[in-house]
Amino acid sequence: MEFVSDFVLRISNLSYSGKAIDMLNTDSLSHDTPPACRLQVGTCGYSYAEWLDAGFYAPDTKPGTMLSHYARHFSITELNFTWYQMPKAQSLERMCRHVPDRFCFAVKLNRALTHEIDPDQWRSHVTQYRDGIAPLAQSGQLAAVLIQFPPAFHRAAENRRYLAALLDALQGLPLAVEFRHASWAVDRVYAELTQRRVTLVAVDTPPLAYLFPPLDVITNPDFFYIRFHGRNTSGWRSGNMQKQFNYDYRDTELIEWIDARIEPMARRTHRGLIFFNNHVRAQAPRNAEQLIGHLAAKGLPVDRLDPQEGNIFPSVP
Amino acid sequence: MNRNRSIIHLNIADFAVAVERVVDSRLRHRPVIIAPQGLARAAVYDMSEEAYQAGVRKRMLLRRARRLCRDACILPPHPDRYERAMRALLKKTRPYSPLIETGEDDGHLFVDATGTMRLFGPPIDVAWRLGRQIHTDLGFDPIWSLAPNKLIAKVASRLVKPTGEYVVAAGEEEPFLAPLPLWMLPGIEHRDLLHLQALNLTRAAQVSALSLEQLQIPFGKRARLLYEAVRGIDPSPVLPVAQKPPVIRVDHEFAEDTNAVTALEGALYGLIEQVGAQLRHRRLATRHLCIVLDYTDGLRHTRHAAVRTATANDTTLFERARKLLSRTWVRRVRIRHLRLICDRLVFPPAQLDLFADQRRRQQKHDNLVAAIDRIRACFGHDAVRMGRTLAVANSLPG
Repeated sequence: MEFVSDFVLRISNLSYSGKAIDMLNTDSLSHDTPPACRLQVGTCGYSYAEWLDAGFYAPDTKPGTMLSHYARHFSITELNFTWYQMPKAQSLERMCRHVPDRFCFAVKLNRALTHEIDPDQWRSHVTQYRDGIAPLAQSGQLAAVLIQFPPAFHRAAENRRYLAALLDALQGLPLAVEFRHASWAVDRVYAELTQRRVTLVAVDTPPLAYLFPPLDVITNPDFFYIRFHGRNTSGWRSGNMQKQFNYDYRDTELIEWIDARIEPMARRTHRGLIFFNNHVRAQAPRNAEQLIGHLAAKGLPVDRLDPQEGNIFPSVP
Repeated sequence: MNRNRSIIHLNIADFAVAVERVVDSRLRHRPVIIAPQGLARAAVYDMSEEAYQAGVRKRMLLRRARRLCRDACILPPHPDRYERAMRALLKKTRPYSPLIETGEDDGHLFVDATGTMRLFGPPIDVAWRLGRQIHTDLGFDPIWSLAPNKLIAKVASRLVKPTGEYVVAAGEEEPFLAPLPLWMLPGIEHRDLLHLQALNLTRAAQVSALSLEQLQIPFGKRARLLYEAVRGIDPSPVLPVAQKPPVIRVDHEFAEDTNAVTALEGALYGLIEQVGAQLRHRRLATRHLCIVLDYTDGLRHTRHAAVRTATANDTTLFERARKLLSRTWVRRVRIRHLRLICDRLVFPPAQLDLFADQRRRQQKHDNLVAAIDRIRACFGHDAVRMGRTLAVANSLPG
C-alpha cells in the first residue's frame, strides 16, 4: 500500500523536460550495462484477410495456418485479439504448437483493464488474464504484456491510483505501458516506471498535440518496446481502423528512427521489441521487413528471416 | 479464392426482460418474469437471469414460478415492444453488412462480415464496435461472438450467456466444440440426444471420434447432420436482410379470449380475405401457409402446410387454412391471438384445370372473389361481407 501511494504522490504536474529524461537515461540505469541487445521485429496481429490479397500470405492460406506462415518471416508477434477477448489458456497453448520454440509473443492487455474498467470487477479480470496467458509464460515465449491506455486516460489522480494498483496486480509479468495522452510524458512517470522495471512504450504516431510524443526513454533495462502506428493524421481521428492505420513508412523515416532512437535504446537494454501496427494492405509486414534490413545493415543484432524462406511476399513477383 | 467467413452473432439474453428493463430501469438487478397475468394456467414467456438461477424456466406454470422466485416482478408480455426493439437493433447493424439474419423478435442476429475488412476494419473490431454501439444507443448489453460459421457463433454465444464475448478462429471449430455437451449444439434434436445418450455419447468429442459410416448405422439419414455438427461444419448462408423471401403476415387479436369454433373460423376467414386481397393486388399466389396460435396462458403453437397449387383465391385458401387450424389447435385452452403467414409467393400458375367441371368451379370462385374486390374497391371493405365473418365482427381489430 505504501508503494502505491508513493507512486501516486510522486507523479506530479511536472512538464516534459528533455534534460531530466537524459538524466534518467544515463544515471538511473548506469548500474545496468547490458551486453548485446537482441532485436525482434514483428507486426501487431497477423491474421488479416487483406494480407492474402496483398500477397503476404498465399491466396489459399487458411486462417488456422496463418501463424505458422507468419513465423517463417518474423520471430515475434503482438497478439491484439486479447484486447477484445480475455485470453484462453487452451487457445494460446494451441497457438504455441504452430510456431518454433524461439518464437515469442507480446500480448495486449484486455480492454476490461484499460478501456472499459469496472472498479468492482477489474481484479477478477486480472486473475482471468493471468490464467489465460499462463501457457506462454510457462513455455518462455511471453516477451511482454502490453498495457495500452486510450487517449481519454489522462494523468488524473484517479487514473494514477488505478495504474499503480494495476501494475501491482500484474507484478511478475514483463510489462510495457503505452500511453496515448501527452499528459503522461512527465519525468516522474518515467522515474516510477524505472523503479518498477516497467517498460515505457515508445510510439510513432501522427504529430497531434494531444498524443503521447515519440521518445527514447528507457525505464526497464530488460527490454524496450516500440510501436509504429503510422502517421496518417487525417485517418487517426476517423474512428475507422482502416484509415487510422493506413500508412506506408518510407525508408528515410525508418532510418531516422534507427539513428535517433533504436540504436541508442539498444545500447541500454538487453532486448528490443519492435512492432508495426499499420496493418492496412499488409504495409506492416512490408515495413517490418524493411526495418529488419536496415537494422542488419547497421550491424545491429536483429532476428532475421531464414534466407531459405526467400521473398516475404511470395505471391508478389 | 479464399472462402473463409467471418460471422458475428449478436444475442441479447432474455430479450423480453432486457426490453422491459430499458423501458423501466427500476427493474434492473431485480428478478423479472414475463407472463400473462390473471389466468389460472398462465405460463412463463421469458425470465431474467436472477429468476432463471432461482429455477424458473420458460413455459413453466406461472403459479410454480412464483413459488420458486417469490420476489420476482411479474410483467405481461408486450410483443409490440419486442418487435420495435428488434427493428432498432437491425437498424444499428445494417450499415455494417447487407447480410443480416434475424430471429423472430428474440434478440438474435447474425451478421456476415466476410469481405468487409477494407471498409470497416477487422471483423473482431466490427463485432466489438457493434456491441458497444448497441449498448450506448439502445441500452442493451449484447453477447457477441465471432466465428467462421453460424453454428459455431451460436454455440460460442451460448457459452458466455448472459453476458460477454467469444471469438473462435477458423480452424479451431472442432477443438472448440470437443469438450462441450451435445445439447449445446444447434440442430441436434431431443430424440437424437436420447439416442446418443443410450449409446453413452454425451460430448462432441465422443461423436467426432466416429466416422460417418459408423454414425450411419444407428442414425441413418441423421448421421450426416451429426457428423457435421460435432465438427463445426455449417455452410448455411446468412440470409440477406433485403432479399428475404416475401411474406404476408396478418394478425387477429381476440377482444376476449375464446375457444368457440365459429369465432376462430370467422377470424381465420377474415385473415384469409386480407391475405387474398394483398396477393391479388400484387398479382401473386401463395404455396405455403403457416398458422400461429397464442393461447391465453402464453403458450404458442405453430403449424405449416404446403398449398399444392399456388393460389390467391379466398375460398381455396380457406379450405386449406381450416384444415391447418384444426391441426394447430390441439388444446382446450382459449385462444388470445391468431396469426396467418403466407410465404413462397409465386406468380399465379398459368396451367388450367384439366377437367371442365373443375375448371368451371374454379372460374366461379375467381369471379366471385373478383366481384367482391371490385365492390370493396368502390364502397369500402364493409360494403360486402361473408356471413362467417359476422361472428367476430365485433371483435375485429379497429
